[in-house]
Amino acid sequence: MHSDEALSKSSPPRLSAWRKQQLAGWLFLTPAIVYLLFSFALPIVYNVMLSFERTSPATIAHFTAPFAGLANYRFVLHDPTSRAAIVHTLEFTVGSLLGQFVIGFALALLFSLRFPGRTFARSLVIVPWLLPLIVTGVMFRFLFQAEGGAVNQLLRNVGLAHHSVQWLNDPHLALWTILVANIWLGVPFFTLLLYSALQDVPVEVKEAAIIDGAGPWQTLRLVIVPIILPVIEVTLLLGFVFTVKVFDLVIGLTGGGPANSTQLITTWSYNLSFQVFSFGEGAALNNVLLVAALFCAPLYLLLSRDSLRRSSGAGT
Amino acid sequence: MTRLQRSRALRWLCTLAAAVALLIILFPVYAIIVGSFESTETLFSGTFYWLPHAATLDNYRTVLGGGSGSTQATVAGSQSGHILTSLIVGLGTVLLALVVAVPAAYALSKYRLRVTVILVSSLLVAQIVPSIVLATSLFIVFHWIHLLNSYPALIIADGTYAIPFAILVLRAFFFSLPNELMYAARVDGASEWQTFRLIVIPLARSAVITVAIFAFLAGWGDFIFALTILNGSGIEPVTLGIYSYLGNYSTDWGAVMASGAVAMVPAALMLVLAQRYIATGLTAGSVKG
Repeated sequence: MHSDEALSKSSPPRLSAWRKQQLAGWLFLTPAIVYLLFSFALPIVYNVMLSFERTSPATIAHFTAPFAGLANYRFVLHDPTSRAAIVHTLEFTVGSLLGQFVIGFALALLFSLRFPGRTFARSLVIVPWLLPLIVTGVMFRFLFQAEGGAVNQLLRNVGLAHHSVQWLNDPHLALWTILVANIWLGVPFFTLLLYSALQDVPVEVKEAAIIDGAGPWQTLRLVIVPIILPVIEVTLLLGFVFTVKVFDLVIGLTGGGPANSTQLITTWSYNLSFQVFSFGEGAALNNVLLVAALFCAPLYLLLSRDSLRRSSGAGT
Repeated sequence: MTRLQRSRALRWLCTLAAAVALLIILFPVYAIIVGSFESTETLFSGTFYWLPHAATLDNYRTVLGGGSGSTQATVAGSQSGHILTSLIVGLGTVLLALVVAVPAAYALSKYRLRVTVILVSSLLVAQIVPSIVLATSLFIVFHWIHLLNSYPALIIADGTYAIPFAILVLRAFFFSLPNELMYAARVDGASEWQTFRLIVIPLARSAVITVAIFAFLAGWGDFIFALTILNGSGIEPVTLGIYSYLGNYSTDWGAVMASGAVAMVPAALMLVLAQRYIATGLTAGSVKG
């Protein structure tokens, strides 16, 4: 009797407390949901719409334009510069990831050894990561100048080159030059993530491997790499995502030239949309890029599943 | 050589290797700073000087001057107005990111809501979306709602760099706060808002600083949205200013170097003043997301 009374008294306020918390949770989320809908969902959906429209400078004012079917996609597949931009993006991405991973991993291993000045060195490695990308672009444009650039000056001083190398003006070299700049840009990210993964490898594991007679190379390959593999995967994945997005760096360095030899999907799409105002064609090219980038999404979600499932739920 | 000597030699070898790596990593930054103090004649002499050659403040006078650069041989605009613009954009991005991200991250970590998994997945995917895709559409959307060439438009666009990252970093941080804190506040009669405002926010200070720093650097360093959303208006951040010095045929290197150096100042300040926040932000956002 008594307990029944207590139950009936405490139940209604409990329910309302739960409701109150649900309401509070949703209210806390509202700005983020509105923001995501406006700044991500709307542009992505609208970009798909645009890619099927016959746009012109005049149609911009009207939000929608006549239906164009697959004309914009057909254009992208046949336009030699668009095709070249897709190939360049592919080469640029593979080359960047390869260079960034090898150098970043080497530096991460170096920093996990004990030596004088390692904390200081580690704190300065992240500098490239913090600079505005357009500054990085013009910085390398300065260094790779044919006349008066530091790179050519160095090559001449050590006797490796006698004439000026046209790093930015030779269509066969320019893609390599932006590749070098992008590797420089991405190494800190790889170093830092791989370094913190290496720190998480238990000392006992390394010691056990050494006791079992494994050399340094074997310990690395057979013991350490398998342990940090999930981090390596995430790092490569994010590296891929950053690299296919690269825009500022190339605009600052070459502007897509010479003769479109460094035109990437991003820069050429900018050109189509904002230089010649073919927004439909730009949007179609954008979608090629978006599909390539979103190709990683399931993998990324899979690798982040622990964080996704996690919920500490202070609510009842 | 004894064993001790050998390991000591190895350690110094590591130091040497790290020094070489740092030299390569920092050299471009060094070059832009030295270059910013060189005269136009030096910069166009066709020789690269490894050390400052004939230091002058001319470039800074051009870049920071109030537009009275009459003594300059090369005509270049002043960047001082652009610096103010970049500051406004950077701080605006911080404000927007915090207002949107702090409550959202709290809800996504401490409330049991049905949308949590969907929303966190969308945030992870949002980080993948290339900015050019957003810029193309946002340009037309902003044109349509008459917001083109305005601070709010640019700040909303720059939020796309900062907000998903901010929510994920803050959410990871909120997990570390014990639930008992919230229970205790509720027992004491605090409302959900009071709990958030008076208990949670003060405890989240360090994570909020981390997120604010990255939001500022994102707004300050943004180029692609400034290039697309601010076409030929009075508003022009430093990054666009640098770009406008890069001519098709001739580049005003002195002005480019000096404004590049100015654009690096916030990053340098953060590195000196907020080192530990930067390191946590860089690792927390991407792996532990």
